[in-house]
Amino acid sequence: MRVTTRFRRAATGLLAGALAATVATSVLSGAGRKFYDDDPITREPETQDASGAEPWEIDLIWDLAYNLFATPRMHLAGDRAKNINTIDEVPDSSWFTNRILARPLTAEEVARGPLEGTGPKPGTWTVVRAKEAGFAPGFTMQDADGVTWFVSFDGKGHPEAATSAILVANKLFWAIGYWQAENYLVTIRPEALVIGDTAKWDPPSGRRRAMHRGDLESVLARAHRSADGSYRAVAARGIPGKILGGFRYQGTRPDDPNDIVPHEDRRELRALRVFGAWTNLVDMKAGNTLDSVITEGGKGIVRHYLQDVGSTFGTGANGPHDWDEGWEYLYKGDLIWKRALSLGLVPREPWQTADYQEFDAIGRFEGDAFVPSGWRPRVPTAAFLRARPDDDFWAARRVMAFTDDQIRAAVKTGQYSDPAAEQYLADVLIKRRDKIGREYFLAINPLVDFALDGTALTFENAAVAARVAEPPAGGYSAEWFTFDNTTGSTNPIGEITDGAGPRVEVPRGLPTATGAYVKVQVRAVTPAHDAWAKPVDAYFRRVATGWTLVGLERLP
Amino acid sequence: MADFYRIAVGRHATLLVCLLLAPAWAQDAAAQETRAELIAAAQAEKATRLAPYTPGRAEAAFTRWSTKLLGGGSGFYPYFDSVYSGGGFTLGAGYRHFLGDRTTWFTQGLYSISSYKLIETGLSSPGHLNGRAGYQILAGWRDATQVGFYGLGMDTDPDDRANFRFNETYAGAEAVFRPGGVAVLRGAFFYDDYDTKQGEGSYPSIEEIYVEPGEAPGLGADPTFLHTTAAAGIDWRPNSMISFRPSAGYARRGGLYEVEYHNWSDRDDVYSFDMLEVDLVQHLPVLRETWVLSLHGRVQTVLGDDDLVPYFLMPSLGSGSTLRAYPSWRFRDRHSMLLQGEWRWIASRLALDLAIFYDTGKVTSERDDLDFDGLESNWGFGVRFHGPAATPLRVELAKGGEGWNLVFSGSAAF
Repeated sequence: MRVTTRFRRAATGLLAGALAATVATSVLSGAGRKFYDDDPITREPETQDASGAEPWEIDLIWDLAYNLFATPRMHLAGDRAKNINTIDEVPDSSWFTNRILARPLTAEEVARGPLEGTGPKPGTWTVVRAKEAGFAPGFTMQDADGVTWFVSFDGKGHPEAATSAILVANKLFWAIGYWQAENYLVTIRPEALVIGDTAKWDPPSGRRRAMHRGDLESVLARAHRSADGSYRAVAARGIPGKILGGFRYQGTRPDDPNDIVPHEDRRELRALRVFGAWTNLVDMKAGNTLDSVITEGGKGIVRHYLQDVGSTFGTGANGPHDWDEGWEYLYKGDLIWKRALSLGLVPREPWQTADYQEFDAIGRFEGDAFVPSGWRPRVPTAAFLRARPDDDFWAARRVMAFTDDQIRAAVKTGQYSDPAAEQYLADVLIKRRDKIGREYFLAINPLVDFALDGTALTFENAAVAARVAEPPAGGYSAEWFTFDNTTGSTNPIGEITDGAGPRVEVPRGLPTATGAYVKVQVRAVTPAHDAWAKPVDAYFRRVATGWTLVGLERLP
Repeated sequence: MADFYRIAVGRHATLLVCLLLAPAWAQDAAAQETRAELIAAAQAEKATRLAPYTPGRAEAAFTRWSTKLLGGGSGFYPYFDSVYSGGGFTLGAGYRHFLGDRTTWFTQGLYSISSYKLIETGLSSPGHLNGRAGYQILAGWRDATQVGFYGLGMDTDPDDRANFRFNETYAGAEAVFRPGGVAVLRGAFFYDDYDTKQGEGSYPSIEEIYVEPGEAPGLGADPTFLHTTAAAGIDWRPNSMISFRPSAGYARRGGLYEVEYHNWSDRDDVYSFDMLEVDLVQHLPVLRETWVLSLHGRVQTVLGDDDLVPYFLMPSLGSGSTLRAYPSWRFRDRHSMLLQGEWRWIASRLALDLAIFYDTGKVTSERDDLDFDGLESNWGFGVRFHGPAATPLRVELAKGGEGWNLVFSGSAAF
């Protein structure tokens, strides 16, 4: 009977999962017809009221154990991301806002990031709550205007490390497009803090009580104290709305009607494999994310924050990353067996010999031994494991879109006291950026920005434009088809056309009727990069003013 | 299996129908004119079946138990420890009640497969002065039923093992203070009452074999001591996750250098003695903690040459953390020296180390004989399951001059 029950539950889960996947695929790929009149959409609609979503708590150890041991068995790369529009891009949403690459960003904008004000208002700062999650010392306070701020400090003995990492990563992830809290560098003098009448403290006894001065001192005892007795800290403005807790990197929230794409199939979450590699964001636990219900257009919408991106570069909350962080998961069975049976002699790993220039404020972060696809967070997420080359390429384009000046401007906001540390961090980020371009632009056909007029198809080779590859020796070839948007059938048009550069003549016989569709398969011809021979499929619709791009498939 | 499948599918026919009809639903949805309408329709459909998140059985059970075990608060807890070296596996439990934020009154007990017993009650108060000081007040009773005794010195025969039993009743207090940085000061004061008895188990009782004067000093005596301990040291073995927190339970770098002084004051002033113990531990990471060379040296010496030390309180070697191929209490005498070296390789920094090790040492009746002649040695291989600051399971196989020994332990060797 127990077996029966177990099997029944398994069958239910299987069927429900299959149904959900079928529905999601059908909706976003548009079963019945391939392109709709409003394709490609630039904003993911959120039409339902999600104000009924309730807070949940994701157990830290469960999240860690599940992702270490269960997730790798359940999730493999394969399916195309399901929240992308028909031209292979991520529409803006409560998860992501296209910024870098989508529009010009100045270095000043990158440096400002999500900041809208000037930080906590000087005056009396009132501690209202102890920090409840994570290892970093901190607390919640209200400034002189009563605005709530989450304050976190550098770990004892590691000045500038955690706070600077938060400040810099905050700007980079904002520029990429993630929802970020406003983080400000502040100096805190203990004597300037008062403890609020309602401030609570959770001691080991489990009996919540009023917070005392001694409790605050115990927090500060874990933080790094400057020579003048003050503490350097980051104050993060309280996220607006009803706080729901973190989001999971798999499945959907069952109480959010707008959350219809499994998170592991959201491209911006898969893409953290590349953004994480760039910045060494090793701590991707659910506890570092935050969902909040905000009101938009008169209804509740769940907004998803990458709330804590502080475990980046070479340091964590309480000191430098372990040597193998960024290189290995906390647990990987086959690796453990190999090490166990070989007395630790194999496998040899780059982290064992990578040349770190160790700045206390930056920790273990380097760019010479870095291999983007070899990067690993502490614990894999389902989205991380589901990422495919087209997801990686999408992310790599955004990383490569950062100019040296933008990177240096972001790094400067870390306010490192040692100019050499600031220089080093920016140099490493630039080096890692270039490696990401070299790897992911060569792993897939990198043609972008397709346009079709009456005479030619034009496009750009992202790898050539980024100078990570030479133009293809054999140029480009294009295969042309008419496309029936209702049935999906295609018919060849004329001969294959080609061009030495990123411009290919159109064949004779291109349809001229408004509403007609053509499909073009474009290859880069070069023996240097096998992946470039796999065509990018571009779809155009004829409108009154000419041809408009409605579809792009880099990896169907 | 076929029956199960039929039942499962039968009960969920509706769901199955939904699955089969999904493409048709999608086709209806495809009648929408825009992508936005299509997505809106899917969101509207989901809005009809919203539900709060319900954790699965495994997640619910995990969360419940992890909260119980790690969440703190008053209540019962499992208690893992040893009653006394050589007592074997134990089962134990305790109950604690918080009297303040961190101060607990507790009662805990252990029972081992060799019928060793321990029951303790006391007050534990850690975390004072921002985590730099703590104290414990403790009273307890221990029953060790079959403790081994092989005679004094190194030239004893394993076949000469005898057993003795003792009950120990104790009460006192201990405190630790970290004045700053890596310095550690410890102190303790205990009333300690020993009651020795005939040994149990498969070996003869001690009084049946060791009958000559001097063979087992203090044989038959039941002394009561005031035992004072004072220790000072440097401990910079960091927790592998939180670098500024010290960690004796598991470390891959750093060291401990400690001197510990004991004064055992017999109420009848017959068996009073002073003892000094020097403990040195050094962990040397190799190739960024791919390997760790761990070294341990320990000397225990009775300070007064004329002091009479009861056999059951003499320095000893042999156990899962000293000479690991030898049974507990294999060698006893007034002075001891232990040298240990381990070559550890870190298979998983989260959970698993392996090691080959070499232990060597000796006990002597004269302090001047604490040299490198006549050492007893062993080597072995170990597997350690660890966390960032603790080693809850250590399994080792050791080979020495008297054969093989399998060690199970709930703590690091050193």
